[in-house]
Amino acid sequence: MLALRDIRVSYGAIEVVHGVSIDVAAGECVALIGANGAGKSSTLKAICGLVPVSGGSVQFEGRDITNASGHAVVQAGITMCPEGRQVFPQMSVIQNLRMGAYTRTDKDQDADLARMMDMFPILRERQSQAAGKLSGGEQEMLAIARALMARPRICLFDEPSLGLAPKIVASVFETLAQIKAMGMTILLVEQNSMMALNLADRAYLFEAGKIVMAGPAKEMKSHPDVMRAYLGH
Amino acid sequence: MLIEILQQTINGLAIGGVYVLIALGLTTVFGILGIAHFAHGSISMFGGYLTFFLVTSQGLPVLAAIPVALATGILLGLLVEMLAYRPVRHANHINAFIVALGLTMMVEGINLQLFGHEQVVIPTGLSRVFRFGGITVPELRLYVIIAAIVLVVAMMVFVERTKTGQAIRAVAENRDAAILMGVNVKSIPLIVFGISTALGVAAGIMVGALFAIAPGIGEGFVVKGFAVLILGGLGSFPGAILGGTVLGITESIAAGFISSAYKDVIAFVVMILVLLIRPQGLLGRTP
Amino acid sequence: MSSRTITGAVAALTIALTASSGFAAEKKLTIGVADALTGGGAVYGLPQANAVKMAADEINAAGGIKVGSDNYKIDVIAYDDKANPTEATNAVRKLIDRDGVKYILGFCCSGSTSAVASFIGNEKAVMLVGNAAERSITTKKIPNLVRTRPPADYTGQAAGTFIARKGHKRIAVLGALDVGFYAQYVDAVEREVKKTGGEIIAREVFSLRDRDMTPQLTKIRGLNPDAILVVGYVEPAAFVYRQAVELGMNIPRYGFTSGSEEQFLRVTTSEQMEGVWDLRPTELTLLSATKNGIAYHANYTKKYNASPSPSSPYAYDQLYVLKAAIEAAGTVDDTVVVAKAIRGLPVPPQVVMQYQPVDGKMFDVNGQAYTSNGAFQWQKGKWVFVEDLPSDSKAYSQFLSTLN
Repeated sequence: MLALRDIRVSYGAIEVVHGVSIDVAAGECVALIGANGAGKSSTLKAICGLVPVSGGSVQFEGRDITNASGHAVVQAGITMCPEGRQVFPQMSVIQNLRMGAYTRTDKDQDADLARMMDMFPILRERQSQAAGKLSGGEQEMLAIARALMARPRICLFDEPSLGLAPKIVASVFETLAQIKAMGMTILLVEQNSMMALNLADRAYLFEAGKIVMAGPAKEMKSHPDVMRAYLGH
Repeated sequence: MLIEILQQTINGLAIGGVYVLIALGLTTVFGILGIAHFAHGSISMFGGYLTFFLVTSQGLPVLAAIPVALATGILLGLLVEMLAYRPVRHANHINAFIVALGLTMMVEGINLQLFGHEQVVIPTGLSRVFRFGGITVPELRLYVIIAAIVLVVAMMVFVERTKTGQAIRAVAENRDAAILMGVNVKSIPLIVFGISTALGVAAGIMVGALFAIAPGIGEGFVVKGFAVLILGGLGSFPGAILGGTVLGITESIAAGFISSAYKDVIAFVVMILVLLIRPQGLLGRTP
Repeated sequence: MSSRTITGAVAALTIALTASSGFAAEKKLTIGVADALTGGGAVYGLPQANAVKMAADEINAAGGIKVGSDNYKIDVIAYDDKANPTEATNAVRKLIDRDGVKYILGFCCSGSTSAVASFIGNEKAVMLVGNAAERSITTKKIPNLVRTRPPADYTGQAAGTFIARKGHKRIAVLGALDVGFYAQYVDAVEREVKKTGGEIIAREVFSLRDRDMTPQLTKIRGLNPDAILVVGYVEPAAFVYRQAVELGMNIPRYGFTSGSEEQFLRVTTSEQMEGVWDLRPTELTLLSATKNGIAYHANYTKKYNASPSPSSPYAYDQLYVLKAAIEAAGTVDDTVVVAKAIRGLPVPPQVVMQYQPVDGKMFDVNGQAYTSNGAFQWQKGKWVFVEDLPSDSKAYSQFLSTLN
C-alpha cells in the first residue's frame, strides 16, 4: 500500500535520513522504533510533504507521491496525527474535529463526528471548549479523533505517547489497538519501543538515519540487541 | 447628560465600525502571515476613490459602484499577495516590513496621481435625519453602522461556519497541523488578502461617503487599525470588533466630555491604560 | 560715393533709429511663486498661483512692465511649499539662489509664510504675502515684505461687533484654534461681544484632518448656545455645518472660512448651508464684486475651467502692485527701491479686492493692506453679500504698529 524506496531527507546541508525503504501493507500496523534523533519522525514528515525528500521515492497505492504538497498527500488518503498533538488551541473541540474532515465533501461528516464522540466520550463533554484548555491526554485523544475524521486509508502516528503520564500512555495505546482492530492501516513512530512492539505487526529499527533491523514485531521484541538497547532489560 | 452620552456613543459607532473593518483585515493578514500590512489603509482609500470616480465621472449609481469597487478590492488583494508579499514569504520578516512600507508609498502615490490632492466626498444624496427622543441619527450614518454590522457578522459567519473560514483560522493557529488536515496553505493567503482588501474597500467607501478621502487619510486609519489590534488582542477576531468599537466611542466621548483638542491622545491613553492592566489586550490570549 | 549708397546708408540709419526709439527692447523678468500647490493648503494656494499666472499673461498681453525704455515680459516660476515651513524655506531659497528671482509672490498659509518672513529681511528680494492671515507676519516691520490680506483679528474685531449687534449672548466656538490667527480672530470677537455682555461659552477644536465633528458639536449642543462660530479651513468647516444640521442644531451659524460655493457643496447640500454667515474680508464673490471682480471671475473661470477661490485675488493683486511699484521705481534690479515704492503706492486701478487705503496709500507703514470686511450669507446656493462690517483700517493700523 505504502512503499518507501531509498528515502533521503536533509535539513539544509545535513542529511538525517540516509536512504530507508519501508513497506506497509493494507490493514497492517507497522512501527518505526529507535532512539531519539534516529530519523523516524523525519521519515514520516517526508511522507506527508512537511519536509522535502532529497532522494528516493514514495509510492502510495501505486501512485508516486514523492514530494507532493501536504494537502495533496491528505487528499490521496494519508493522514498524520502529529507529534505533540498540535491541536488548534483557540478553536473548539468540535471545530478541531471538523477541521479533520477538511478535504471531505460527503454527507457523512456529522455521523462521523458523532462516532468520534462515542469513541471518546471526554470529547463530547468538552465539545465547545477551546482545545488549548484540554489536558495533554485529552488533546492526544482529540488529535487522534481529528486524524480519523479525514477517513484516511492509512494513518500515521508520530510519537503519540510523548510527554504523557504513564497511565495516559496506556489508554492511548488501548485506543490505537482499538483503531487497529477497526482495520485501519497504521504507521507508528514511537520511542516507547515496548508499547509499540506490543501493538505492531511489524517493525523497523532506526539507528542514525538508517534501518538496522526489520521484521515481525514479536521477533524484534525478543531479539537480544533490541532488548538490550531499547527495551531496558 | 444621558442623552449626550447616548448621542456620543452613536457618534462614535460609525467611525468605530470603520475601525473594526480596517482592523479585521489587518488582523487576518497578521494572523496568517505575520505581516504588518501597512498599505492596507491606502488600498482601502483607493477603493473609496474608485467609488467616487465611478459615481461622479462614470455616472454609476452608488449602489452599483459599490459592488464594482468591492470586486476590484478582492482583485487588488490577490495582486498584492502574489506580487508584493509572496516573493518575500520565506525571507526574513524585515523584508516583508520593507515591502509593506514601499507598497504604502506606492499606493499613496498612485492615489495622488489618479485622484488628485483635493478631498473627495462620495455623493450619496442621503441627507435625511432620524430623531429618537433627543438623539439624532443622520440616515447615512445609520446605513454605515448597519453595513458595518452586516459585514462583521458575515465575516464571523464565514470564519466560524465555513470550511475555508475554519482553514484560515487553522493556518493562523498552527500552520503545520493545517497542512496535515489537507489545507492548501498556498491558496489561503490569497483568500485572506482578497477578503481583507474587500473589507478595507468597504471601510474606504464608508469614510468617503460619511467624511472625505484625501491624501494621508489612509495612513491615519492604518495606525488606528493597528491600535485596535493591540487594544483588542493581536490575532483575535472578537478583539478587533470590541477594540474598534471601544476606540470609536472612546474618541467620541473623550472629545465630548474632556477635550476635543486631545481626542486622539485620549484614545491612545485609554489604549495604554488597558495594556497596563491587560498586556495581552482586551480579548487576547494569555501568554 | 554714389547717390545710391548714400540713400542706402540713410535708410539703414533711419531703420536703426526707429528701432531704438519707437520699439523698446524686449526683456524678461522672472518672478517666483511659493505656495501650497498640493496638500491641505492647496485649496488656497493653487488658486493663488493660478491667479498670479493669469495676471502675468494679462500684463504681458498689454505690453509688459515698462521701465524706462525697456519692456519686461513676466515669466512665472511656481514652487510647491505644501504649506509646510521647511518646504517653503527650501522653495524660496531655490528661487533666490538658483533661479535668481527677486520678487516672490503667493504665500497662502501662515506657518510656511512665517518661516520665510523670518529670513527674507536679509535677502535682496521682495516678498508679497497673500492669504496668510497670521498677524505677526506684518508686526516686525520687515521693509521688503508686504501683505495684501488683512490680519485675522482685524476681521475678527469687525465680526465680533456684528455678532454682538445681532444680540447673541452665549456663543460657542468650534475651530482650528491651535492655529494662531484663528485664535486671534476668536479673541477679537470675544473682546467685542464682551462689550455688550456676551460671552464665548465653549472653545472646541478641530484639526485640519478632522472630518467627524459630531463629538464636539454634541458637546456644544448640550450647552444650548445662542449661536455657533466656526473658524477654520474650508474642508473641515464644511463638515461642521453639515453635521450641525444632522444633529438638529437649529441656531445661527457664523463662520470665518472664506470658502467658495463649490468647495462647500462638495461636502454639504445647499439646504444644509442655508443661512450660514461668513464674516470675512470682502473678498471675491460675484454679488459684491466690482467691475474688476466680475472680469476676474470670468477670465479665471475661462482659463482654468473652475471658479476662483474667494481669496485668490490677494495674489492676483500682488502682481499689479509689483508692476506699479517697478514702474514707479524705474528699476527691476534694485529691490530696496522697489520695496520702498510699494509702500508709497496708491491702490492700483487694476486690483480686484476692495482695499481701504491708509493715508491714501495701499500699504501702511507695517506693509499691511486692508480690505473692507463683509457679512456674507448663504442664500439658496450662493454666498450673498449682505452688508459691510464696521471696520476701521486706520485705527487697526495704529494698533498693529504698536505690536512687534
